[in-house]
Amino acid sequence: MKSRFLFPYWCRYLGLVLILVHIPIVMFKKDLGFDLHGTPPSSDLFNSHHLFFMTTTLLMAIGLFLVAFAKERIEDEQILQLRLDSLQWAIYVNYIVLVISLIFTNDTEHILFLNLLIPLVFFIIRFRWKIFRNNLLIKE
Amino acid sequence: MKNNIRVERAIKNITQADLADLVGVSRQTINTIESNKYVPSTVLALKIARVFGKPLEEVFILEEED
Repeated sequence: MKSRFLFPYWCRYLGLVLILVHIPIVMFKKDLGFDLHGTPPSSDLFNSHHLFFMTTTLLMAIGLFLVAFAKERIEDEQILQLRLDSLQWAIYVNYIVLVISLIFTNDTEHILFLNLLIPLVFFIIRFRWKIFRNNLLIKE
Repeated sequence: MKNNIRVERAIKNITQADLADLVGVSRQTINTIESNKYVPSTVLALKIARVFGKPLEEVFILEEED
């Protein structure tokens, strides 16, 4: 069985590098002069705040995307099924969180952010956990 | 569905890794099929039966609850 639309195996490591690069940039954004919380943000598109937000979010999203959808070393039918299962779980969890956050908050920027992160992060965690469990079985 | 893969492997004297190589899947997949945790696709089941040179029904057996 051929699984289509997956990135080559090495893309997983590229994705991890992108995520790791993005973490210190976000952590030290104050030192980099991008902490604009106090000042009223200008409404122009492509101001420095917007550019910073866009770049870091894209770095992380592309990183997560590559990690989630890179091929396994041996991409067989069981892996394909685990992928599908995990994807279904991720969509369920995402929509549950989305509905809950829509009811209890009106902070749309963070809702958008959560909505961007949860499907990929939950997918990766669940998929890796299942593979880890299968690897444990083999050692028993 | 249960299966006789473990027995057939013993008869043919091959390991899980050997069988996995022969049918083009990972060792984990063969392991989960043997322990009835994963039901293979028809294509994979046919490939496994072909490795043992037996008809499908002798390797994979339907159970009451299936």
